[in-house]
Amino acid sequence: MAEALIGLELHVRLATRTKLFCGCRVDPAAAPNTHVCPVCAGLPGALPAPNAAAVRQGLRLAAALGCTVAPDSSFARKQYLYPDLPRNYQITQQARPLARGGLLEFGDDLAPGRLTLQGIHLEEDAGRSRSVHDGRVSVDLNRAGAPLAEIVTAPELRTGEEAYQVLRALRRLLRWLDVSEARMEDGDLRCDANISLRGPDGAPGPRVELKNLNTARGVARALEFERARLHARLADGLASVPETRAWNAEARRTEPLRAKETAADYRFLEDPDLPPLTGLDAAAELARRALPELPGVRARRLARLHGLEPELLRAVTADRAACDRFEALARYAGDARAAARWCAGPVAALARERGAAVVPGAVRLARLLRLEAVGRVAPPQARALLPLLVDDPRDPLAVAAAHGLTVAVAGADLEALAAAVLAETPAQVSAYHGGKAALLGWFVGRVLARVDGRADPAAVRAAVTRILTRGGPPSP
Amino acid sequence: MSVADLDVLEAAARLRDGGLTAADLLRAARERIADLDGDLGCYRWLELAAPPAGPPGPSPLWGIPYGIKANLWARGAPADCASRLLAGWVPPADAAAVARLRAAGAVLLGTLNLDEFAMGSSTEHAWGLATRNPWHPDHVPGGSSGGAAAAVAAGLAGFALGSDTGGSVRHPAHCCGVTGLIAGYGRVSRRGLVPHATSLDRVGVLTRSVADAAAVLAHVAGRDAGDATSTDLAEPDPVAATRRVCRGLRVGWVRGLERWADADTLADQARCRSILADAGAVLDPVDLPDTDLALAAYTILASAEAGADLARYDGGHLGPRAFGGDHAAAAAAARTAGFGAEVRLRLLTAAHVLRAGHADRWAGRAARARALIHRELRDLLHDRHVLLLPTAAGPAFRRGERTGDPVAMRDADRFTVPASLAGLPALTVPTTLTAAGLPLSAQLIGRDDGEGALLTLGAALERGADFDARRKESPWRRR
Repeated sequence: MAEALIGLELHVRLATRTKLFCGCRVDPAAAPNTHVCPVCAGLPGALPAPNAAAVRQGLRLAAALGCTVAPDSSFARKQYLYPDLPRNYQITQQARPLARGGLLEFGDDLAPGRLTLQGIHLEEDAGRSRSVHDGRVSVDLNRAGAPLAEIVTAPELRTGEEAYQVLRALRRLLRWLDVSEARMEDGDLRCDANISLRGPDGAPGPRVELKNLNTARGVARALEFERARLHARLADGLASVPETRAWNAEARRTEPLRAKETAADYRFLEDPDLPPLTGLDAAAELARRALPELPGVRARRLARLHGLEPELLRAVTADRAACDRFEALARYAGDARAAARWCAGPVAALARERGAAVVPGAVRLARLLRLEAVGRVAPPQARALLPLLVDDPRDPLAVAAAHGLTVAVAGADLEALAAAVLAETPAQVSAYHGGKAALLGWFVGRVLARVDGRADPAAVRAAVTRILTRGGPPSP
Repeated sequence: MSVADLDVLEAAARLRDGGLTAADLLRAARERIADLDGDLGCYRWLELAAPPAGPPGPSPLWGIPYGIKANLWARGAPADCASRLLAGWVPPADAAAVARLRAAGAVLLGTLNLDEFAMGSSTEHAWGLATRNPWHPDHVPGGSSGGAAAAVAAGLAGFALGSDTGGSVRHPAHCCGVTGLIAGYGRVSRRGLVPHATSLDRVGVLTRSVADAAAVLAHVAGRDAGDATSTDLAEPDPVAATRRVCRGLRVGWVRGLERWADADTLADQARCRSILADAGAVLDPVDLPDTDLALAAYTILASAEAGADLARYDGGHLGPRAFGGDHAAAAAAARTAGFGAEVRLRLLTAAHVLRAGHADRWAGRAARARALIHRELRDLLHDRHVLLLPTAAGPAFRRGERTGDPVAMRDADRFTVPASLAGLPALTVPTTLTAAGLPLSAQLIGRDDGEGALLTLGAALERGADFDARRKESPWRRR
């Protein structure tokens, strides 16, 4: 089957307080046209002034992706007529983009795929237009002028699944760097894709551009659909044409949007309103030095250091805050595996439900893990204890005691208790020895009930098993 | 002589010695407008503000009535750019330059006529209003800041702000016998100037003396956060520069003008050389960069940029709304109804010179020609403080003479586009009157950051030429 060549055009809304060329807030969710000024409304005579924060965010991303940054970069006008584009040209970059080249790691952190990037350029977002009745269009300019970084990849991907993995990796990186919120559903991260099949001569065939891909899964599905469609055409001996198609998520198919022959002529023009950005190479070097340890590198280090299973590793490297929590906890708790289990499970759940800010510090978490490890708090109680620590600043043991979550009985006492409880039901003990192994759980339950659950179920099970075994089957 | 004809700095002195009030000045200007503007057609819109009360402020512009070209923003004043497309459009704020004049206490009289979107050299391409040359009603006032130049010449304003893309301040200053000054590109913020061609657009000053021009420039120049291309003026005291001696300043005078300039202009240039030599300047002849190339490059680049700068007028939030059909059809309808012939010609040129596959042949070559002209002028100015040349090849042409011939119309910019393409400061100083009673002028082109020497030499030329004496022959002074 002919190999597919897939490339992506990714638009990232950079996390900045204000728009790319004016002082309006970036708040696409606000009531329509509430964050608009003469500049982003395109009034004639209002002039753009570049937002240094957006340039910094772009350079941070470029540094993390290993792009090459030239000293100078310039803005250009891309001319096309559209109702949501107030000047009827978009300020973007063409001849001298912010950054060239770069690589994006995706997939398994321990054996990542590496996707070549063509580069990154900055551009302003358009507004949003909506058709209303009798052919009129209403336009909301809150989004117009929001800062975007466009990342163009080489056509190196082969499957929709790979494209999906690329989007996941990029999303994690963007959040890791605080460069973007990267919510596809809110348009912080947008993806167009292109696909062609390699012809019998090895050269890429006609390229199909895919638009309207609103979710990461949608990207994968659209590409798989299109790959199959192109293969089918090839098998039927039909030629494909370069065209732009839209993904219809409900019908789960791509539909023609426009033939590439009529593609717009953008009449690019360097924008004289904006002097070139200068000194970017030095700024990029500073950005590089200020980068946190990147997710893939960190995952590989943690794997080397702690030998975590892939699933746990993936969970603790899902985002930077989780990773920080894990590393701190591992250090204080001394047991990386337990720390990873806690971070991947209950701690992550707590952060998700109540916000990362409320998660107890590593010292208290380590204390909690210690209580569990030495058997002062049984695992189910330890889990129940975690959210209580949020509102109770005392030592975890004190909190556990106050809520009756400490183990009431353990060790020799537990052994004695278990023996006493078993002695109360000789008939069941006999039945157990007679082969009803399922009664083990029933014995454990009775012992736990006697202490209101304040014992380690595993320890109880061990004690009960030990006594039953020691006692041996009753002699006939 | 009416107080309407006073220079800004004279009027400022008389406001301070108590001989005159701001109300007197404003009244005189309004009377002059009432008397003459029906014939001249300078103002598109008049402000009805009261004169400032209280004692004069520290600025010499306090209480001085002035006008702005109708492509500059002033709060409450329609900036229709003499285009039907922008009829009644009121900008939301003051332009940077206007805000600085307002803060100084200057009094806005109204907005002045221009060729539509500042595209033209005769102020005949203006929607709804034609401006006449105050020296002779059958002649054009030049353009595109024709309303501004005519108003300042005939005392309908103390001074005016215009805009200059390829000569639009200097050419009408020449035609109307007033001083026209543009500082180097970016020295005056473009914030609040409706763009014509961004990389060439400059806000300029029209006055009745070089010192006045220096005083106004001192107010409006300087870095503005709202224009990323704006920078400070290198000359710290432009007015003082007009009083410096020019001994030792070097002037390159442009030779070989016979091909284009008329006999009066050639004779006037010779007179200007002897005036500057008498004032102590050192002169030597130079060859101007190829003006045919400059005109061609200018035509292509200004049109290409205008295409983008004017793309926003699509019948949406700017321009007459057209409903029905798709967006492109609505935009086409709005533009067809709203733009005049000259603007449409430039937009068609823009589409041609930037279209895919041909951009390098047209816009690309023009950009290289521009760089070449810039380098040649910089080389000429390496050893010289200014270049001396005419503003135009002859006096103001007759109305209607070039309206059907865009190439001839553009030829009016032949001597002004080189400084425009290079972003250099330039000054037009009126020098004499022809036998027909039309003004002639000299143009000085300064170095980058050479506004000081430009003003020093301009003031020396002004003193020597004594055009002020010829103003007594003007129709409005003889009335």
